[in-house]
Amino acid sequence: MASSTRRTVITGLGVLSPIGQGREAYWQGLQTGRSGVRPLRAFDVASLPTKIGGEVQDFDAKKFIGKDHRKNLRVMARTIQLAVCAAQLALDDAAIDKAKLDPTRFGVEFGSGLIATDLDELAEAATVSTNCAPGHVDLEKWGDLGLARIQPLWMLKYLPNMLACHVSIIHNAQGPSNTITESEVAGLLALGEARRIIKRDVSDFFLVGGADSRFNPLSMVRHCLFQPLSRRNDAPDKAVRPFDRDRDGTVIGEGAGVLAVEELGHAQQRGARIYAELVGFGSAFDKGRTGAGIARAIRAALKDAGIGPEDIDHVNAHGLASVQSDIWEARGLQEVFGGAAQPMPVWAPKSYYGNLGAAGGLTELCGSVLAQQHGQVPVTLNYENPDPACPLAIVAGSAAAVRKPYFVKVSFTDLGQCAAVVCRKWE
Amino acid sequence: MRRRVVITGMGAVTPLGHSVELLYRNQLEAKSGVGPISLFNASRFPTKIAGQVKDFDLGKFVGNVERWADSGVNSKFSAAAGAQALADAGLLDNSQVDRTRIGVYLGCGEGIQDFHHLVSLIAQSWRPERRLVDVVNFTKNGLYHFHPGREYEQELHTPTAHLADHFDLQGPNYNCLTACAASSQAIGEAAELIRHGDADMMLSGGAHSMIHPLGVTGFNLLTALSTSNEPPSKASRPFDLKRDGFVLGEGAGMLVLEELEHAKKRKAHIHAELTGYGSTADAFRITDSHPDGRGAIACISQAIKDSGLPTSAIGYINAHGTSTQVNDRVESLAIKHVFGDGAYQVPVSSSKSMLGHLIAAAGAVELITCVMAIHHGVLPPTINYENPDPECDLDYIPNQAREKKIDHALSNSFGFGGQNISLIASRFID
Repeated sequence: MASSTRRTVITGLGVLSPIGQGREAYWQGLQTGRSGVRPLRAFDVASLPTKIGGEVQDFDAKKFIGKDHRKNLRVMARTIQLAVCAAQLALDDAAIDKAKLDPTRFGVEFGSGLIATDLDELAEAATVSTNCAPGHVDLEKWGDLGLARIQPLWMLKYLPNMLACHVSIIHNAQGPSNTITESEVAGLLALGEARRIIKRDVSDFFLVGGADSRFNPLSMVRHCLFQPLSRRNDAPDKAVRPFDRDRDGTVIGEGAGVLAVEELGHAQQRGARIYAELVGFGSAFDKGRTGAGIARAIRAALKDAGIGPEDIDHVNAHGLASVQSDIWEARGLQEVFGGAAQPMPVWAPKSYYGNLGAAGGLTELCGSVLAQQHGQVPVTLNYENPDPACPLAIVAGSAAAVRKPYFVKVSFTDLGQCAAVVCRKWE
Repeated sequence: MRRRVVITGMGAVTPLGHSVELLYRNQLEAKSGVGPISLFNASRFPTKIAGQVKDFDLGKFVGNVERWADSGVNSKFSAAAGAQALADAGLLDNSQVDRTRIGVYLGCGEGIQDFHHLVSLIAQSWRPERRLVDVVNFTKNGLYHFHPGREYEQELHTPTAHLADHFDLQGPNYNCLTACAASSQAIGEAAELIRHGDADMMLSGGAHSMIHPLGVTGFNLLTALSTSNEPPSKASRPFDLKRDGFVLGEGAGMLVLEELEHAKKRKAHIHAELTGYGSTADAFRITDSHPDGRGAIACISQAIKDSGLPTSAIGYINAHGTSTQVNDRVESLAIKHVFGDGAYQVPVSSSKSMLGHLIAAAGAVELITCVMAIHHGVLPPTINYENPDPECDLDYIPNQAREKKIDHALSNSFGFGGQNISLIASRFID
């Protein structure tokens, strides 16, 4: 087992979410209990079966990015812009003097997913290469005439690793740079990996994040084809109902959550404000989606933290709000926490903004870090009728007081990749 | 003391054959896997050549091929190479080992977009008078024409899930995608998961194909690809003065990494030990690597330091060696910086001269090549090395394999956007 005693703490939070931009606005959104799910405005969604989602409204990257780097915004898809801006927020929140930071000990890890092309950028090439028959492109015409009608840097705008690349370039982070592309579990996996890198004394400081935006026609078509999405178009704020009996699927959201994390001594030396310590991490694959993998990931994280289930204040759940996924998660949570004398409070942040994809895990985790700071766990929205198939103590109706210093954040994918992180409030 | 990580299984699907043996032997024979692109009509593209995987039949490697019916070749290649690696390690259907202690960490590329439907639907939805795409029309027809299963299988977490599910690997499950560094980074971090105690065995490596219309389009627009289409076998010429870009390849390389004591206890055959790992970022530009090789130098140095070896112990370098002007110059510079005068004594070669560039999968295939070189004592050449470049003046093992007993080999992978990874494989000595 690892012999290192280097500890990792969270010293900065950067959130861009459908319920608020910036740490304080995000907490405000969670506290007021208002949903960020609304009719979509990004483009005309008249043809889509799901016409609602969690948008980061009025997001303007230029407000976050220094003049020197603004010209690069044109080679950044919206996902990348969200990542870069949330990273700036996290760094500002950490109040670090970059001049005193060793660039070779400064790493970047992001969770990200597929980024779809803007259709307009291929339009000229497309029109000269087709006769409009579905599924037919004349590749000779594409090669002769079409190719030259696309911007030279087109591909770079959409590569998943460009989130971390741009962040490392803007902040001169020359340490390890990785991009985890494991759907909704990507953010937690990135965080666990950054902690291991700090532990083994390769880095002292990390920006770790997740970002995702799928509000463009191609992505939305694709997700409507394969994700179980809610059809509650007439009641957007009621649509995402994790663990509620009447849930009918999630909605797509967009956003970014970025943490500044650093080695404890490094943080203390510079007098940093410390939110929490990352004390445990575990990951697993849940074969057959029985909940056993979810339980294994949580147990590994608890063991890593050196604590038991009874030490946990609340579970920050994946809570997707699809019929099957919530049952599956409830089984996993029951396996770990079901034996306790007191039922374990479970909070499902997706009820506020839906499924943020690769941005979800860390944006949600930030919610619990803030809950610890403010001493209360926000409510789960739309939890009105318990589902007997999900026998959990959902925090709903009114906020729950924080009673213990530890929380656990759980994320998993539809296919079975699971991860859990345990954080301890810094005191 | 930290847990030692050894390699107990290997598998490959490449333009030079669908096994580790063929991959290695064909490199020793200086064969090129590059030919005209036949996967689509590239006759009017600036680049018309690539290193394609030939006559691939997934059914030869796994029983349940229906599982991958909607998958892209990235996922299929990873299944075939994964099956080989697990069989080689004695881990297929082996209920003696704890399956929750076997994880997966790939640097697997994305699935291939439905180019024909995407582009024809954009054209059909284009409204020239307004100069924009009618998104209501696009989404309406897209819902009808795109295939749900094939769209889903493009998602980046699907290949690792198939492997975990099919081969019963219930440990940690990761995929990273850091361009050309991805599978090397996956291997490095998979080894760290074992060292940290999160798993005892990891199936790691990568799979990728960008030999499709949008892939070639994207790289052609960046002018990154060679356009020396005739003859195809001569196009990839790393370190040669007349190099003019890289050649796309495709395929998969997979390894089983295992904690040493675990491997010994179950009497697994040990191919080599993974002794060094370095990971840095250039933090310079999204299009170019740092001109002085800043990130590459730090990365190679970090890997050597991690291994605890003196620099002089490295007997062979399998270079990133893409055949682009900038990479080969900067990589040579970085090697000279780290190795000093010793740089001229250490043989360097580029597997990409024969295979082309497997992008996310490149590093894993090249690390496997290093392991084979350690085992057999013959170093693969850099083919098409004809015109010396004064800025690339190292020993590139020109055109002919060379017999040399080595104990430690370094493999470099540098990703587009500035991620640098170096790995060191060593002869296993207990």
